[in-house]
Amino acid sequence: MRYISERSNDPGLLVLSSLAEGPKHGYAITQDVEEMAGVRLGPGTLYGALSRLEAKKLVEALSAEGRRRPYKITAEGARALEEELRSLERVVDAGLGRLQAAGVPA
Amino acid sequence: MRRLARLALAAYPHAHRERYGEEMAGLVEDRPVSAGDVLDLARGAAVAHLRPSSECPGPVSAADRLRLSAAGILGCWVAFAAAGFTFYKTTDGAAFTAAADAHSALSGAYLAIQIFAVLASAAVVIGAVPLILAALGERGSARAAIRRSLARAAGAILAFAGATAALVALAHDAGSWSEGAAVLVLTVWGLGGLACGAVCVAAARRGLFAANVPLGALRFALALGIFATAAMWAIALATAVYVVALSGLGISASGNGPAGLISVELSIVLALAAMVGAGALATVSSLRSLKALRGFAAA
Repeated sequence: MRYISERSNDPGLLVLSSLAEGPKHGYAITQDVEEMAGVRLGPGTLYGALSRLEAKKLVEALSAEGRRRPYKITAEGARALEEELRSLERVVDAGLGRLQAAGVPA
Repeated sequence: MRRLARLALAAYPHAHRERYGEEMAGLVEDRPVSAGDVLDLARGAAVAHLRPSSECPGPVSAADRLRLSAAGILGCWVAFAAAGFTFYKTTDGAAFTAAADAHSALSGAYLAIQIFAVLASAAVVIGAVPLILAALGERGSARAAIRRSLARAAGAILAFAGATAALVALAHDAGSWSEGAAVLVLTVWGLGGLACGAVCVAAARRGLFAANVPLGALRFALALGIFATAAMWAIALATAVYVVALSGLGISASGNGPAGLISVELSIVLALAAMVGAGALATVSSLRSLKALRGFAAA
């Protein structure tokens, strides 16, 4: 299990990808990101990302359930996520294609 | 580890804790906490301090800003006083007294440091009195929390005073101590003093937020806090003059600290750097309080 931070990866993208499935609170997001990407989001990294995404109106806080507060992705957040994933997809396709052309097993 | 994580959470800016503190505390309680989590929280707190407004919705209210500034200036004064004490201990000796007698720049700078230290300490204490009285006069539901904060601060001061008294009593036999033991005891005592200061600042901060402090008392405290900040800069300037005046003398190169690891001059320069850092943070707090006061005036 890799431990990721804002310096080495983009937690915002991971959080948005997790919320694309539906609203989740912090703990559920960390669990989902671990299953989905195999990385552990630290609490400081997670809430740093959530506060930035919230400030950019890419996610929205829902009513608190005790100490937990679920977040949902906004329409703008979904658009931003799709755009980012498409961009990554182009990089992945191009990279894999070049590896294949060079005869390097991917 | 969970306790360390809670401490790291407490280091986040007030606005961030107001907005996300409960959730983050819940997350820390809900899952196993690793050393990586603690470091992640500490780094997150530093980032949140450096980039506060754009990341954290829900700005701090003007009244809370005044409270934060008052507590911030007090914290800076404690740190500044610790650096000042280091300077005092470094320059405490017959050789320095003789040098000051022979060089007016040294004696003048030292006198200025003493005068401004007394003025700044008096300003901090006088400014705190109305706040403490307001906290003691609190009749609402916050009364218990305030009493707890005051009890913690009083307990820390008593413990440190007891440790100081024990150190003074033990100092009679200090001649038989090895240098290493003396340095160790003095270091532990110094760290104890810093811990006592930290407990008092944390208690003051909690008390300020729990009590219904009148705006007039906060204004008075901040006016004196700004004066204390100016005095910190005056002390730092006088310390800089002192170190420049000392640099040409033989004693500035003599060994200081454990086993004389660093020179007297470097010791004073390090203390001066800490003073400048604390003074700079106090200035930021002062400027923020002035901005908040302007907000009140505009409202």
